[in-house]
Amino acid sequence: MSRTALPSQPVMPSWLHAADGPLTRELLLSPGDYGLGLLPNRARPDATTSMVCGYCATGCGLNVHLQDGVAVGLSPTTEYPVNLGMACPKGWEALEVLKAGDRATTPLLRNDRGRMEAVTWDAALTRMVGEFRRMKREHGPESVAFLSTGQIPTEEMALLGAVFKFGMGFVHCDSNTRQCMATTATAYKQSFGFDAPPYTYADFEESDALVFIGSNVCLAHPILWERVLRNRRRPEIVVIDPRRTETAMNATQHLAIAPKSDLVLFYGVARELIARNAIKPDFIAAHTTGFDEFAAFVEPYTVDVVVERSGLSAQQFHQFVDTIQHKQRVSFWWTMGVNQSYEGTRTAQAIINLALMTGNIGRPGTGANSITGQCNAMGSRSFGNITNLFGGRDFLKPEDRTEVASLLNIDAACIPTQNSLAYHEILEGILRGRIKGLWVIATNTAHSWINQSHAKDILSRLDFLVVQDMYHTTETAAMADLVLPAAGWGEKEGSIINAERRIGLLKKVVKAPGQSLADFWIFKAVAEYWGCGRMFDDWSSPEAVFRIVQRLSKGRPCDFSGIRGYKHIDDAGGVQWPYPSEQADDAQERRLFADGRFFHDDARARFIFEPPRAMPEPLTSKYPFVLLTGRGSAAQWHTQTRTAKSAVLRKLYPQSVYVEINPDDARQHAIAPHSLVTVASQRGELQARAFVTPTMQRGQLFIPMHYAETNQLTDSVFDPYSKQPSYKACAVRLSAVQ
Amino acid sequence: MPTVEDPPLPLGLRSTPAGVSRDVPVAPRTVIDDFLDEQQRLTAVETFSRWHEDRPPAQSKYYAALLPAAPPGPGEQYAFEVDLDRCSGCKACVTACHALNGLDDDETFRDVGLLIGGTAALPVIQHVTTACHHCLEPACATACPVDAYEKSPVTGIVKHLDDQCIGCQYCMLACPYDVPKYHAGKGIVRKCDLCSSRLAVGEAPACVQACPHEAIRIRVVNVADVIADSESRQFLPGAPDPQFTLPTTTYITNRVFPRNVIPADYHTPRREHAHWSLIVMLVLTQLSVGAFAVEFWLTSQWRTWWGGSTTPISSLGEVPAVTALLLGLLALGAATLHLGRPLLAYRAVIGLAHSWLSREIVAFGVFAMCAALYATAGAWGPWIAAEGPTAVLPWVGLAVVATGLAGVFCSVMIYDYTQRPFWNGLDTAIKFFGTTVTLGATTVLLALVVSRWLQVDATSSLLAAQGPRLCRVLAVATLIKLGWEQRILTALFDRTLSPKRRSAQLLVGALRPVLGWRIGLGVVGGVLLPWALLSMPAAAWSPVETGVLAACGLSSLAVVLGEFAERYLFFAAVVANRMPGGLST
Repeated sequence: MSRTALPSQPVMPSWLHAADGPLTRELLLSPGDYGLGLLPNRARPDATTSMVCGYCATGCGLNVHLQDGVAVGLSPTTEYPVNLGMACPKGWEALEVLKAGDRATTPLLRNDRGRMEAVTWDAALTRMVGEFRRMKREHGPESVAFLSTGQIPTEEMALLGAVFKFGMGFVHCDSNTRQCMATTATAYKQSFGFDAPPYTYADFEESDALVFIGSNVCLAHPILWERVLRNRRRPEIVVIDPRRTETAMNATQHLAIAPKSDLVLFYGVARELIARNAIKPDFIAAHTTGFDEFAAFVEPYTVDVVVERSGLSAQQFHQFVDTIQHKQRVSFWWTMGVNQSYEGTRTAQAIINLALMTGNIGRPGTGANSITGQCNAMGSRSFGNITNLFGGRDFLKPEDRTEVASLLNIDAACIPTQNSLAYHEILEGILRGRIKGLWVIATNTAHSWINQSHAKDILSRLDFLVVQDMYHTTETAAMADLVLPAAGWGEKEGSIINAERRIGLLKKVVKAPGQSLADFWIFKAVAEYWGCGRMFDDWSSPEAVFRIVQRLSKGRPCDFSGIRGYKHIDDAGGVQWPYPSEQADDAQERRLFADGRFFHDDARARFIFEPPRAMPEPLTSKYPFVLLTGRGSAAQWHTQTRTAKSAVLRKLYPQSVYVEINPDDARQHAIAPHSLVTVASQRGELQARAFVTPTMQRGQLFIPMHYAETNQLTDSVFDPYSKQPSYKACAVRLSAVQ
Repeated sequence: MPTVEDPPLPLGLRSTPAGVSRDVPVAPRTVIDDFLDEQQRLTAVETFSRWHEDRPPAQSKYYAALLPAAPPGPGEQYAFEVDLDRCSGCKACVTACHALNGLDDDETFRDVGLLIGGTAALPVIQHVTTACHHCLEPACATACPVDAYEKSPVTGIVKHLDDQCIGCQYCMLACPYDVPKYHAGKGIVRKCDLCSSRLAVGEAPACVQACPHEAIRIRVVNVADVIADSESRQFLPGAPDPQFTLPTTTYITNRVFPRNVIPADYHTPRREHAHWSLIVMLVLTQLSVGAFAVEFWLTSQWRTWWGGSTTPISSLGEVPAVTALLLGLLALGAATLHLGRPLLAYRAVIGLAHSWLSREIVAFGVFAMCAALYATAGAWGPWIAAEGPTAVLPWVGLAVVATGLAGVFCSVMIYDYTQRPFWNGLDTAIKFFGTTVTLGATTVLLALVVSRWLQVDATSSLLAAQGPRLCRVLAVATLIKLGWEQRILTALFDRTLSPKRRSAQLLVGALRPVLGWRIGLGVVGGVLLPWALLSMPAAAWSPVETGVLAACGLSSLAVVLGEFAERYLFFAAVVANRMPGGLST
């Protein structure tokens, strides 16, 4: 048979050769109009509208294709200044996960036989309010807490924080942003005087050197990597990560340091820069305090110490220092590799110190820049009324309480005079029996919290657990006494603040299933049932709350009182704060500290430092491996309550847990590629498939965080300042499954 | 005004208008009802949407540079170009292709694989996005029995004609890159057409539009260059040999891949789908052909031409032929069950010029007709069954055997064409023709014994002579076949994880029980029982003793089941060629 013989095309009747017909027409494309290009016939929109994606803090604009006002598809928004018409797989599939069969469509209450049973909203809220009232009456205002999220709009967070603390009179609450951004928020607050990521995404394109620390931006933030690849300055790309990640593959320098040697490295770099006189004395003198103490402090961190602790060669170290010394615009970017550490705050500040001493801040292409995790982590931090009083204020300061009370037209006595407990302290409170009731909103504690078995045990001790979520199947919802069905992204309105401080809009383009309600309306309803509804009469709609939040932001560093409503945000393609009413300009990119003035009262940034500490759980002969955790793929999000609901996304990552192992370690432990292995820590163990890969260093293992088993291994250790869990490193052992 | 003390439960929960009487037996509206109503109101369009006007595709300002300046000229075609240095593994291309092309459920036309390797000093991790390579010599098109693939002479795009497809899925076996995908709901295969309709209007394919890192471009490539590039066989590490189909995709990189780069799923055992309808079809067609062939061999007067003795055709009776016919028809029926759209199977005649599947279908079609004529000869009157030099029947018999053996040969070539080492022509031929001989012998033997035992046919003179002969044929053929089949196990000693070693590992691993049954059934049915029959005295054959009947029956059953097991392993243990896959558990 001749391989070149291709079907000739004689004219044949269609019953014998059908080149067209109903099956062919199913995949035909036709002009989608509205600047969309060709689209599938059956999903041709009659209008489009742009909104912000609801997964990560990149905050991409998505163009939702509408038919009769209902979303039938989406594509990334070309004009949106964040993503320039691109999206990662999660964004492309964002509408798909709303259709899942396990959406919560009605309130579910655990009955006497322990089964979950559909009830009316009235019954659900009556029970919830009844339980929480009883607890408050019997055990006081510290007996009920909530754990919320960085995944809902600012308006909902603000309403929740106000209802819970000012209306219902409770004190303790936290958010899952404790798991992702608390460290950076604390570091910025201490160093800059405010939780203020200084950058704009254009800085990716304008740097001469980009230093990525503990950040696999290629997988975790593909759209930010898009911006890096648009950099036309032929930048040096330095990646500091124990693993050879996708990002490390694209680096010009990959510093594969030993886990938790980052702080030593940065102190060593600071020392070397000082020794080379490669610092900016003028900037330091004019805009910072504490440099002399810092210079004295870093003196012991010699090249030899760095080499010894980090495992780098002296040549690698010097090349890195050369880069910082000689490049005009150096930007530092970090993610969870820094934040999720027992000394993350000081590590972030060590990076900030490098930026300050070299004057790499406030100029294009510079900055000490944290890439946030969740879509509205910043909204949660600034306006969740959780760790801080609204607008980054302080619950402990009477003047702040008075100001907020007057802005909200409420009695200042409603405002708690004490700080909330942090996430792990709330769990500890449950364990000690001081907290009886917990309200979990759009997060999945039973999967994501560190040392998971312990966390589950703690949740099981609650008198009453309310879980408010889109899905009734999350690990935490499965433990709940009451599940409140929430509408999700795409089913409600609001605004979120992305990692570069850009406020973007969420819109309602899909009808929520069954009886599910936007978190906004659930909070309003809880207020009504609690009896404090009148207090929130002004909080009548998401946009009304947006105006209230604007009021609360006025005069604060995060002032965005100049925004003229949702329509303005929509037309402008998002607005970055600061956007005060008095000096509102229409710039699409805005960075902080161009004038060298920071947010401390003296307008100076601080050099903050502290000696590095050893890993809290030392490696032993019994547990000789360091376990690293992190993101597995761009198609997975956190505990997968949403991303696992898309059939397409499910094809893009391994369906069960796996562990990355260095080939030499595998050989030594007689582990064949793809065989089953046991990974055990002092807290638990799991079985996983072995992925033997030279991208792992010897003595280190990596397991993605998305699998429910992973956190059975991790160790409840926290940064003392940010109280963020140290997910990234614990001691484990490895063995083949016989 | 708010108070610090909790107020009593409010009456204000009801939002019933003041004028409505309380005693009307209508559930009063509550704030919850208001909230639920508000929740169901979609207002995004009224509030925000403004893009009603027609505009050129907005994204074109970014993708214009990723498209060729001019369409392909003579000797050129469109092709993908993937810049591996820009592929970060985000897989946006997969989801964008799915969304912008309106694919169903989990249907995807693009995949992203992963290569790993290197040394401790310089480890390598490289994602690889891949779709149809729009080959110069697309194996899918050559294999397709119904010409459901067209390679455009102008653009070079290999397009699948969905309405022409009968759902035989042979293209999926033939494509070395695992490109065509079966859509079970529609009963057809679908695949990437390089978004030909987009290219036709100057738009970029979905994946090109959507790659955040501009890793995918469309290029016009020179056909001669594609051939020249394939000479070095260095298409992509871990990918199948490009010389078979001449794929046009170009993977470019400034990196130097270390020699030890392998796909991330290299060590993942991949047990292939066992196609039961194909198993039934192959075993029973070969049984049928074999039975006719054995019968023909026993009765043929052609043997007199080189001095053999003549056995009258009628002496065997109709039982063997009718049995063979019925099983053959059953096989062909089973084959149609494999098709997604069986009613269109007749279209297979048009691929005769290039498709072994088309040839197989035609050969077995003619075989079935001839066999029907032959097996029912008695009903056609003396003119067809007449003996002597003018007889028609022997010629019909010859046609049955010839078309049947041709059909089996086509079956062999179908699998040989897929380039899968476990399905190589020699091994497959020995399996398929071995099945033909063993099952042919055992079927005829059993049919004769049963019909003699039932006294329905005048086989007495034959059985004593031919029974032992058939037993010997069965035993020898089985021994040869069983032995040859196990040769694959020598690949266990290959020092690399070759495709044959993977097959062997599957056979002694996940498939070990089936392999055990296959060998056991073959030895018992094809060797031990025939040997027991041979050791019986000639008198036991005529009249047929119960022992002979039982031994023959058991032997046949075991042999047939053994062949089914062998064919199951044939499908389940094969290792397909494919592009590097991603990490899988």
